[in-house]
Amino acid sequence: MAIEKMALVNIIGRFEDLDETLIRCCDSGCFHIEPAFKNEANSTVRLLNEKNPFGVPLKEFASLATEMDIELKETPGTRFKGWTADQFNELSVNIDSELEEKGREKQRLATEVSELEGAVLQVDHLRGMNSDFSKIFACKHTACRIGRMPADNLAKLQYYDQTFFFVPFETTKDFCWGMYFCAEGDKELVDSIFRSLFFERIHIPDYVSGNTDEALKKLDEQIKEKKAKIEGLEKEISQLAEKHDKTIQEAYTALKKRYDVFELRRKVGAVKEKFYIKGFVPQKQSDGFSDSFKDMGEVEVVLLPPDADAYCTPPTVLKNGWFTRPYRMLVEMYGLPKYNGFNPTAFVAITYTLLFGIMFGDLGQGFLLFILGLIINKKVNKEAGGIVSRCGLSSMVFGTLYGSVFGFEELLDPVYESFGIDFLPIKAFEQSSFILLTAVGIGIFLIVLSMLLNIYIGFREKNYEKAVFGCNGIAGLIFYGSMVTYIVSKFILKIELTSGAVIALLLGIPGICIFCRVPFAMAAKYKKWKLSEEEEDMTIGGFIVENFFEMFEFLLSYVSNTMSFLRVGGFVLSHAGMMLVVMTLLNMSATAAKPFTLVIGNLFVMAMEGMIVAIQIIRLEFYEIFSRFYESDGKEFEPISVSFDTEVNI
Amino acid sequence: MMENYSSNATTAKIRAKYAQLFTLDEYREMAAMRTVAEAAGFIARSARFREAFSEVDPNTIHRGYLEELLYKENFETYISLCKFQGLDKEPFFGFLIRRSEIECILSIINRINSSLDRNFLSDLPGYLIKSLTIPVMELSLSQSYDELVAGLKGTRYGRVLRKVPAREDGNADYTECELRLRTDYYAELLAQAEKAFSGSVAEELKTIILREIDCRNIINAYRMKAYFGYSPDEIKRRSLKFYGIGKRNMERLYEAADAEIMMDMVNNTIYGKNSPDTDNIEVEINSVKIRRLRHYLTGSTRAPVALYAFIMLCDIEVSNLVHIIEGIRYGVEAAAIEAQLITL
Repeated sequence: MAIEKMALVNIIGRFEDLDETLIRCCDSGCFHIEPAFKNEANSTVRLLNEKNPFGVPLKEFASLATEMDIELKETPGTRFKGWTADQFNELSVNIDSELEEKGREKQRLATEVSELEGAVLQVDHLRGMNSDFSKIFACKHTACRIGRMPADNLAKLQYYDQTFFFVPFETTKDFCWGMYFCAEGDKELVDSIFRSLFFERIHIPDYVSGNTDEALKKLDEQIKEKKAKIEGLEKEISQLAEKHDKTIQEAYTALKKRYDVFELRRKVGAVKEKFYIKGFVPQKQSDGFSDSFKDMGEVEVVLLPPDADAYCTPPTVLKNGWFTRPYRMLVEMYGLPKYNGFNPTAFVAITYTLLFGIMFGDLGQGFLLFILGLIINKKVNKEAGGIVSRCGLSSMVFGTLYGSVFGFEELLDPVYESFGIDFLPIKAFEQSSFILLTAVGIGIFLIVLSMLLNIYIGFREKNYEKAVFGCNGIAGLIFYGSMVTYIVSKFILKIELTSGAVIALLLGIPGICIFCRVPFAMAAKYKKWKLSEEEEDMTIGGFIVENFFEMFEFLLSYVSNTMSFLRVGGFVLSHAGMMLVVMTLLNMSATAAKPFTLVIGNLFVMAMEGMIVAIQIIRLEFYEIFSRFYESDGKEFEPISVSFDTEVNI
Repeated sequence: MMENYSSNATTAKIRAKYAQLFTLDEYREMAAMRTVAEAAGFIARSARFREAFSEVDPNTIHRGYLEELLYKENFETYISLCKFQGLDKEPFFGFLIRRSEIECILSIINRINSSLDRNFLSDLPGYLIKSLTIPVMELSLSQSYDELVAGLKGTRYGRVLRKVPAREDGNADYTECELRLRTDYYAELLAQAEKAFSGSVAEELKTIILREIDCRNIINAYRMKAYFGYSPDEIKRRSLKFYGIGKRNMERLYEAADAEIMMDMVNNTIYGKNSPDTDNIEVEINSVKIRRLRHYLTGSTRAPVALYAFIMLCDIEVSNLVHIIEGIRYGVEAAAIEAQLITL
């Protein structure tokens, strides 16, 4: 369970081969690209900062698909291989010209329908006239306009000194429907005034005449006719969509790939007439990766050790076995270790599974969790399913030890009796002290283990402050170990292991080491006496005050972290308690309702407690354990790829 | 005082409305549309403007009225937020009304000066009439600057404009009028923020207002330098005398040898850091401004701060929408429209 070894890859070639090289890098699925120009001092490498020519056609094809109501799906094809951005542009313009004409016609008809509907409303306002209203519009010396204007603008009318009068019909929330009259000679001026007040004039078509009922009938016929034309146009557009569907899908898929590949150029450097790509591949795949460029004579792939470039930090890929693999999710949630760092997945896998089993021990519920895990694994998320099924198995094991099956605590008693095992099953309520003390014991064990890991990592990194003098180093281990041993022997086992003076020495010397960890570590490493690594002018007073509070925090963390594990025992009791409630309700229920109560009760406890336990263990792992040895300063391995996406964010 | 917890409901309401503002994706979708009718339909369907556009037919709406409706919705939102918990009783919260009044007065002065059309009525947004404290309809009939000042007698604006004498031709210096009116507006606003609120609320408000003034000054100074070749002294004279980044720092910008050097200097101030890569000064400065406003809106629990920041964000949103509508109207490419949007 370590970290995957990486190889640094430098790819150099002619610009004609750049796109093909990038496509092959994407297709390999194992190439993590690094900016080629991170080293600014290296003036020979310049940045490739060209505008992506595929952005505009990509957007055009996306708009065409939206307009034609085509749902974009990944449709690979060879039709557009090697096409330039201009060719794609030309294709989109051709399709668009066919569509635009119909779209414009549709819009024109929609506007006409809106106007006619407005005319219907206006004619409706004239219902009371009972005579041929077209006579009003036929006046020789008076001009008349009907329509609507924003109600807010009505107040302005009285401030105009032109000769017109406005007859309001109806005022709604935002508009006032009405008509205005003016002298034929003033109509242009008055029209311009009303236009500036956003008067929406409604033209009553010439063919609309007679009384209002007749007019409304004619208008209705016209609206129906135009709506039918719109429907016809919509059909034509959908036929057009059918005709171009495959072309648009293929062109969009090809364009998206070309666009994404071109975007990768931002990380490519240019050295004179050649391009320069830098990145990482897992060492075991490096030969295969290198071989994939063999047929490109002008492209040279150079494999180097991962630390060959001081400006590039290798990414981290966790290497895990089948049992520990799903727990990678939890480690990644906290943060990846750095390359050459320590992979804690195995540690998390074992402790998480065990702690879950202890806190949620029930043979029946564990079995259901196991089944649920398998389903999640298949249908939803492989890693989450893996964790749930492993936790389910652990729950079954500890459920057997507790003798608990779906809350029936005595069901396994006869089995143990038949085997003559009298210390099992463990009864939660009868052995609560034992359970709580064991939980603290587990906590002490895990904290000590974390410290040992920290010491190991510290020595590996030659970090003496971490390995020897720190609160989680050798000094911390002796301090914590002595404290725990003293408390256990004195107050639980009631025995005197050693004299008070020895204990004081075992606490005192490591205490001083922790207090002075920075100067001691500096003295060991640089043979130089300094109070602080960062601050040059740290005074002795400042040093004492700062370390006094830190020391206080360390002591507090030893106590609080240990006591935090009490929750492990607490949840054993709480699980038993909740199932006791379910059993009490079961006994109170009518016979017919008993299965229902049992199922609902178990499901409720499983869902609620299962989630709480899962979260509590994550908390223990991250705060109580990881904080002692784990540093998540690694970089994620992100192999470059082109992904199909219908969202165009250019 | 609005510092107590009673205004928390207003803050919550503002945040809920903030969630309705247009997103970058929505701007992009609109910019890709072909006709103003489509864009109007899109706006009419949005949660933010649905109510305001309920009686509008996107197919027939006049482009000018469409824009007016956007501004109207902002104004109505502001009025309803102020009335929600009686904030409008505090003089500070009249800031948008006062700003609108100044815009109206300046518009009338401009009309008088242009001598082309003295009728300001058509440009006056109808929704403002009932909320303004000056008789704007009567003022619109003014035939000269003196008549306008006489009409404003007894108001704050009258006192300010009295100090700007009419020229021989009967008109007034528009720039001088604008500078004096805006100076008075911001001085009053800062004083009200100081007087009505205390502690962090007053400080946050003053910071927002001063930064707003800085942005205005920087944009104006850049234009004066780049397009009119004004001298630093002339720029200083025509700028508002309030400073968020300090008088000396702002004057250093004014004194830059040319517009490009000035922009390089701006990039080293808070108004240029992490700004988008654009050659449009307004987009650059306002993008930084919008980020700070969002920070204030989401970070502050105080209604005055949240309201002021929200109204400014609404203004920027409407200006983006107007840009898009204009762009579609003149057949500008979607990418070019997007480049003019303030979206950071």
